[in-house]
Amino acid sequence: MTLKECYAALGADFEGTLGRLCSEKLVQKFALKFLADESYPTLEKAMEEENYTDAFRASHTLKGVCANLGYTRLYEASDVLTEALRDGKKPADDTLLEQVKDEYRRTVELLQELQNTV
Amino acid sequence: MRSKILIVDDMELNREMLTAILEDEYPVVEAESGKKAIEILEELQDEVAVVLLDLIMPDMDGYEVLEEMRRRLWMDKIPVLVISAESKVAAERKCFELGVSDFIHKPFDNAIVRNRVKNTVDLFTYKNELEEKVEKQTETLKKQYRLLAAQATKLKESNVKIIDILGTVVECRNLESGEHVKRVKGFTRILAEQAMKDYPEYGLTPELIDMIFSASALHDVGKIAISDGILLKPGRLTKEEFDIMKTHTIKGCEVLEHIEDVWDETYGRISYEICRSHHERYDGRGYPDGLEGENIPVSAQLVSLADVYDALVSERVYKKAYSLEEAFRMIQAGECGVFSPKLLECFSRAREKFEQLAQEQHQS
Repeated sequence: MTLKECYAALGADFEGTLGRLCSEKLVQKFALKFLADESYPTLEKAMEEENYTDAFRASHTLKGVCANLGYTRLYEASDVLTEALRDGKKPADDTLLEQVKDEYRRTVELLQELQNTV
Repeated sequence: MRSKILIVDDMELNREMLTAILEDEYPVVEAESGKKAIEILEELQDEVAVVLLDLIMPDMDGYEVLEEMRRRLWMDKIPVLVISAESKVAAERKCFELGVSDFIHKPFDNAIVRNRVKNTVDLFTYKNELEEKVEKQTETLKKQYRLLAAQATKLKESNVKIIDILGTVVECRNLESGEHVKRVKGFTRILAEQAMKDYPEYGLTPELIDMIFSASALHDVGKIAISDGILLKPGRLTKEEFDIMKTHTIKGCEVLEHIEDVWDETYGRISYEICRSHHERYDGRGYPDGLEGENIPVSAQLVSLADVYDALVSERVYKKAYSLEEAFRMIQAGECGVFSPKLLECFSRAREKFEQLAQEQHQS
């Protein structure tokens, strides 16, 4: 699996990300670093503990990272969750975290596949 | 020299992405928290060219970093670029209110980040250099001002010195005691201060009075040009001798004209007025110019009255001293010179001070 194929499978924005980061090498490097990124695990833990302030912060960070890496779908899901958590509120919609979780798992699986090929 | 870039973000991935963009052109320092950023700035505040700041961080967030930087007066020297996925306009507005230079939204474009960083660094380098220059020039100006002030003081001192030297010459030559000169100065000051209080139309000021006070010592400087035969003659002068004696006013002015360029203009002018016109009379029957009324410079009018008063209350080879009472009466009655009604009024009001000084001086 190539980087481009991975992005296509993710429904991610390869061209845009390449344009912004300027080199395919950099895109790949940071795309794979996402596997070690702590923002999602932190988000999940904070939600479990019902600590919505920390959850907001983690969701906000996740959203930023995804924006930069062009992970459009995970970005959109975390953006909605971030706004629901703003000011430390408990999200009215329980399914928002589930949507982020689903997208995150899908993303991580595909990235792992990519990592195994390169 | 400021050249370092400080990247403040709690996420390693974010720091790495920014470092990758900038490390070719700038030395990069990373801080994983707001607190760490402040610590680094404490140490490197003169080396950091720009701070790239994340907003949402645990413990001390980006806003708190900005407030702390502002509190420590770093915001004027170190520009801050906020890089955030924050999409709320209010957040961006708050950052600008706190003094950030720019706000970059995620996802960011490497080329744009690089250019914004470069522009900000260049602008602040230029601004800091200009401020430094202005500061240096202000310092230079201040130094020059101090130098000028010192020179002005020196010039003032030398004006007074010139007057003192000339005054001493008069004393040595004249045999009319140094005490006379001292007393005339004292009476002049008393009268001038009274006139300043009662008649503002004379335009007297404390500075002007100081000058008149000093210059009054020169009223008889022209006497150095009068021959001993006349100047020191014990008996009464003949008409011809008295005419020569009268020229001491003009001769004094000639002496002063020689040193015109050496001293302060106002000192020169006042000394000239006193030398020339201290024998004028308010009714126009004095000498050498027969000036009348307020055409006689006020400096000369003041010295004239002081001079006459001292002559009356002092003992001379040809006369005994008049009593203070009698001297006061004679001047008021116009028996010894004619003076301006205003100055006579001042003289009357300051009578006690005149008499006190006259007694002190005669006792000592």
